[in-house]
Amino acid sequence: MNRRKFLKQTTLLSIGGLLLPSALLSSCRPDTLFEDSSFQGKVLIIGAGAAGLYAGYILKSKGIDFQILEAAPNYGGRTGKITGFANFPIDTGAQWMHGKNSIIGDLAKKSDTQITLDDSSEKFWFNNEIVSSLPQDINAIFLDDYTAPDVSFAEFAVQKGFGNEYKNIVEFIAGDSGAAASHISAYWKIKEEEYWSSGDEDFKFQETYFDLIEKQIAIHVQDQIQLNTAVKQIDYSGSTITVTDNNSNVYTADKVIITVPITILKSGDIEFVPALPTEKTTAFSKIGMDAGMKVFLKFNTKFFDENIFGGNICASYSDDSIGKVQDDNVLLAFIMGQQAEYLTSLGSDTAITNALLQELDTMYNGQASASFVASHVQNWTTNPFVRGAYSYSTVGMGDARKVASESVDKKLYFAGEAMNVNGHHQTVHGAIETGYREVINLIKDVRK
Amino acid sequence: MRALFLLLFLFRLIDTQAQEIEADLSYKYMFANNWDKVIQTYNFSRPFLTEKQPLFMHGINGSVSYIFKSENKFKQGINASYSHFNSYAENVNFVNQYNLHFLNVGYMLRYESTEKLKGLTTDFILSASSSALFRNVNDEPFIFDDTRSKAFGIGGDLSVRTSYSFNLKNKIRLSPFVQIGYTPYLFSPNTEAVINQTSGLVSPNFTDIFSSQIGLKFRLRE
Repeated sequence: MNRRKFLKQTTLLSIGGLLLPSALLSSCRPDTLFEDSSFQGKVLIIGAGAAGLYAGYILKSKGIDFQILEAAPNYGGRTGKITGFANFPIDTGAQWMHGKNSIIGDLAKKSDTQITLDDSSEKFWFNNEIVSSLPQDINAIFLDDYTAPDVSFAEFAVQKGFGNEYKNIVEFIAGDSGAAASHISAYWKIKEEEYWSSGDEDFKFQETYFDLIEKQIAIHVQDQIQLNTAVKQIDYSGSTITVTDNNSNVYTADKVIITVPITILKSGDIEFVPALPTEKTTAFSKIGMDAGMKVFLKFNTKFFDENIFGGNICASYSDDSIGKVQDDNVLLAFIMGQQAEYLTSLGSDTAITNALLQELDTMYNGQASASFVASHVQNWTTNPFVRGAYSYSTVGMGDARKVASESVDKKLYFAGEAMNVNGHHQTVHGAIETGYREVINLIKDVRK
Repeated sequence: MRALFLLLFLFRLIDTQAQEIEADLSYKYMFANNWDKVIQTYNFSRPFLTEKQPLFMHGINGSVSYIFKSENKFKQGINASYSHFNSYAENVNFVNQYNLHFLNVGYMLRYESTEKLKGLTTDFILSASSSALFRNVNDEPFIFDDTRSKAFGIGGDLSVRTSYSFNLKNKIRLSPFVQIGYTPYLFSPNTEAVINQTSGLVSPNFTDIFSSQIGLKFRLRE
């Protein structure tokens, strides 16, 4: 072989050797997972909240047969809205988009949904007066203290020198996580949120969160949702899973994605045949979910501040018109944990409203009762298909969420905000992440 | 002025110490399994985006090599390279773009063939690699919490490059080359947060990167 021939062959071999594998590899690298899912079976989704709706949306996009069974007379889970109460639509459930670096942020951008940064000012009810700042910055100890012991917020606050006078401020901080301060773990809350990546800014929707869910997600799966269908039994003992509802109707499926709130899983309302593994039910029991309600109070004057934190009846009041185009005077009482339990125990919406007005009168010298127009009580605790606010990290929680979210026998898959192990539990975008995560797990199991 | 003199002095020093200074431009093909997974998950999880986000696959690379004087068939040098990969998808209201930049700096061992195969050189390059990933949405940097969405990574790269030099005119030499490389790579946890807006859901913070390149090398000084 002469030099010229050698060089020619070497060059051709080199170029061919590089370009051919590159071209072949490119064709083997699809830009999405499971271009061909190859799953011909049927999937039942239990629950039409954000996770269930999104799981259905993904299954539909992959051409997989599915049906969604929802116990309530409406879909949306813990999102919802009322109109007519004020001159802007009211979010009865999830209201804030927590950070815009999330799938919901992308969806809002894509759909040109109008959102507004909630940078409203904070005031505190402290030592029987409204103050702009607290003597000591209590927030920092819960946000940044990575050495927090596995004790409750309430106990941790006392350890850090925030005694009785900060009690309702501590309740406000715990309430933001949907819990009573005596229930939520200082350590596990910080630990579980290590993965939080969506951002710290809160945004409000010009319409409502429910509108986004309905118009951008539910619209794609509406024809597959069966409302007023409470699942009573899931029998996964055979090769085909049978699901029985409250009217003794039987549905069959190859896979079931369960997206009901953790309170429903803990209550035993759904019977599993065979019973779920003990470690699974133990994990469920370690995930907390306290009472929660939202009360909207309409007034004819705006006497209140944008936010008032630290009330004894309600630890968090917010001006609900922030972020909306119209500006009726609506104050949101965001009530969680033991405060929600107490108000629920009063027995009626009127009694709840009166208790809140009484507290506001104390704060604002009787202006609340004087300018009160109407109220709307949304008590998620008494909603039989929800029974609380959202999940939180309990003392001694460990890896309960991880165990709880694992599939069973490659037949049962668990989604919903409580099953998010990536720091986004308690949020709608966290629920959505579990919805598509479980579809990925399901298809993976089919392909194995 | 002092800085200018210093630069001129350094350049002169480099110039006198070097046998060769080379620059090259190339097309680079990359395969990074775990970055693929993150982008594939992004596309899978967003049926509302009809135009899918391309994988980090095709990029451009530029590098500069400085080879020390030696009478031996084996020569030593240093090499610095920059690569850029782009993933761009245009949907209505939502133009999403990821820009991935690599900077490698490392040691180079060159073998030059003699006699019959004169002009054929093979370089073994061992470098430290670093990357920066940025996200743009609607042609603007994606900013949240007043901070630009970004992530970084580090790794070690081992590459082999073979080239052949053609003398075009006196002292002007062009060398077509091919190169393959392997980089075990650690990327920061927020890489997944930049691409898929999740953390710990899709992949470990590690990926193998395999690459191949084809390009032209210019010999600047001999």
